[in-house]
Amino acid sequence: MKRTLTAAIAASLFGAGLLASGAAMAGEIRIGVTLRMISENGEKQGEMIKDEFAAINAAGGINGNTIKLTLLNDECKSDKGVANANRLVYQEQVHLLIGSSCSSVTLPIVAVTAQAETPQIIPHSTSAAITQQNSEWVFRVPISSRFYKGVMAKYIGDKVGTKVAYVYVADEASRAETLGLVGLMRDMYGVEPLFLEQSQEKEIDFRANLLKIKDLNPDLIFIAGQAEAIARFLVQSYEVGIPDTVARAGSSAVSNAPAAILAGDAVKGVFFSAAYSDSDTRQIAQDFNKMVRERYGINSVDHDFSQAWDLLQIVKLALANADLKLTDDSLAADRTAIRDAIAGIENYEGLASGPISFCAAPTPQCRDGNRTPVLISYVKGGKDFEVEVLDRVTMPIDFGL
Amino acid sequence: MFFDFLIVGLSIGIVYGIVALGISLIYSGLDIVHFAHGEIFMLGAFIGLVLFNTVGLPYPVALIMAMIATAVIGVVIERVFYRRLTRSGGGYTVAGMGMIIVGFGMAIILQNIAFLAWGATSFGYDPIYGPPVDLGGISLPRSYLWIMVVAITLMTILNFFLKHTKLGLAVRAVAANKEIASLMGINVPVMISVIFGVACALGAAGGVLIGPINFVSVEMGYLMLIKAFSAAVIGGFGSLPGAILGGLIVGVAETFGAAYISGSHKDIYAFILLILVLMIRPSGIMGVIVKVKA
Repeated sequence: MKRTLTAAIAASLFGAGLLASGAAMAGEIRIGVTLRMISENGEKQGEMIKDEFAAINAAGGINGNTIKLTLLNDECKSDKGVANANRLVYQEQVHLLIGSSCSSVTLPIVAVTAQAETPQIIPHSTSAAITQQNSEWVFRVPISSRFYKGVMAKYIGDKVGTKVAYVYVADEASRAETLGLVGLMRDMYGVEPLFLEQSQEKEIDFRANLLKIKDLNPDLIFIAGQAEAIARFLVQSYEVGIPDTVARAGSSAVSNAPAAILAGDAVKGVFFSAAYSDSDTRQIAQDFNKMVRERYGINSVDHDFSQAWDLLQIVKLALANADLKLTDDSLAADRTAIRDAIAGIENYEGLASGPISFCAAPTPQCRDGNRTPVLISYVKGGKDFEVEVLDRVTMPIDFGL
Repeated sequence: MFFDFLIVGLSIGIVYGIVALGISLIYSGLDIVHFAHGEIFMLGAFIGLVLFNTVGLPYPVALIMAMIATAVIGVVIERVFYRRLTRSGGGYTVAGMGMIIVGFGMAIILQNIAFLAWGATSFGYDPIYGPPVDLGGISLPRSYLWIMVVAITLMTILNFFLKHTKLGLAVRAVAANKEIASLMGINVPVMISVIFGVACALGAAGGVLIGPINFVSVEMGYLMLIKAFSAAVIGGFGSLPGAILGGLIVGVAETFGAAYISGSHKDIYAFILLILVLMIRPSGIMGVIVKVKA
């Protein structure tokens, strides 16, 4: 009996030892995320990212490796974003950084990840300047503003008119998108802006500028800014009596749900270029919309959701293809392996309107993976806003460079 | 166009004026500059938003209820947090740097409370205004009419309260000299609470009036505070008519600046004006000669 017990204990210890060595073989991939999570949609996107990685872990991880996620909110503030990035890269020693939403936050983070030689994949920021930093560690899932403005310029010039008034809020993405569009309208149609003015980021009263625009009787007002500023512009444009016969177009941020929710009816007819429309009839899009509605209670799914989703699928593919050691000494090699695996993603077909491809060179041509914007118009504002697709164009890889 | 700009300037200026009126009222009564008044304005806007959008009260009722609720919050803040400091200054008067620091601290506390309650996202009032009214070529948005009418009504009521009621007389007596007011049998601490409550109600009115056109967010108080502060200084710190006049001047100056010079840096005009007024007439346009208060 005693001998049997001893044998059983020895067998148990041996088994436990095997299990322990097995556990040691499976590693932990550390992923850090910094996002703007200050609206319901932002918070839900954070939840979706958490849920996706939790599901991966529950299914046994990627190649047996589990994901350790650190999710931080930068509130679309550069200082918080940079602080988050430094924490993630140096303290948490993440293998991959996902972030951020606002271009003004992502731009300074590019310098942090380049310095720390950590791969960074961007879910939402559109400013062309981000990939023009030529960092070999940066990849962008959303569409660059250089592509957005091309589609927008063609549609405005051909279908709306060339008397355009531009107003933009003084953040990097809005400035770049507006001035880029102004340049394209000049190059393609030979027209100068009817009105061009910027406003401070926290400005609340745009009515003086809008009165001046009203007096000029433009074909179209182009408004660039964060979602809240655009909504304020739109509401106030009707307050000062600019009729709905004057078309209104917005920068890519107008696609974010808060713009439609805050602006209400004032958003009706506003068109913009984006990466995704929830009126997309493809089965993958319908399934995605259904999942977001059921799981996160979001009725109108904007392109920030779809881009976050596409990013997650790309990350999964890259991590599955990366040769990771995941030991204490292999951090630099693992980061490099993840970077190279993302660079190897080619023709990924997901929710985006066209395929997403990356390559090794640290150039915008290689790192602006998505080149197919859709032109979308709001047909209904408010919480349950609705949109329709006006056009879908794949842009040449060198466009705007 | 000139009249269009003027109307826009007056409509935003009168909101600055109402908030500045609260700042001046507190200064005249307590001899303190209340740096948390921007957050009182924000809190009032949020309370109005909840009453209007969620509870479903009519806009004028939501406005009045928000003013009352914010006044109560203001009185509680004054009694619980500020009273000890103003007392230590001697006779409920200036407590030096302490009061300034507490004001800033209160601003941060109120902002964080609002952040916990409503988060960092912006909210809009449900639409309440129709298309603009055409007045012989000048299109006058209904929101401006609302703001003007409510602001003028509030100022009339405040003027009546201060000049034609016993309570108002007591408030003015406390503002003029607390020791003598106390010797005359006036309950000075209660009057100080009344002043604080009325000032906070005015801040809330500004928030509810501007909410439908500018949305409501936890960060909305800061910019309003500096504009209202400029208005109060330009008009003459402590002068109630001066606060309104200062607000109108700031509103019109920044709108005309944006219209005829450049709209890119609109905020700068209010501060250029502030510096000019302080250089030429340090006590402000309607400021009184500095006197020592008890």
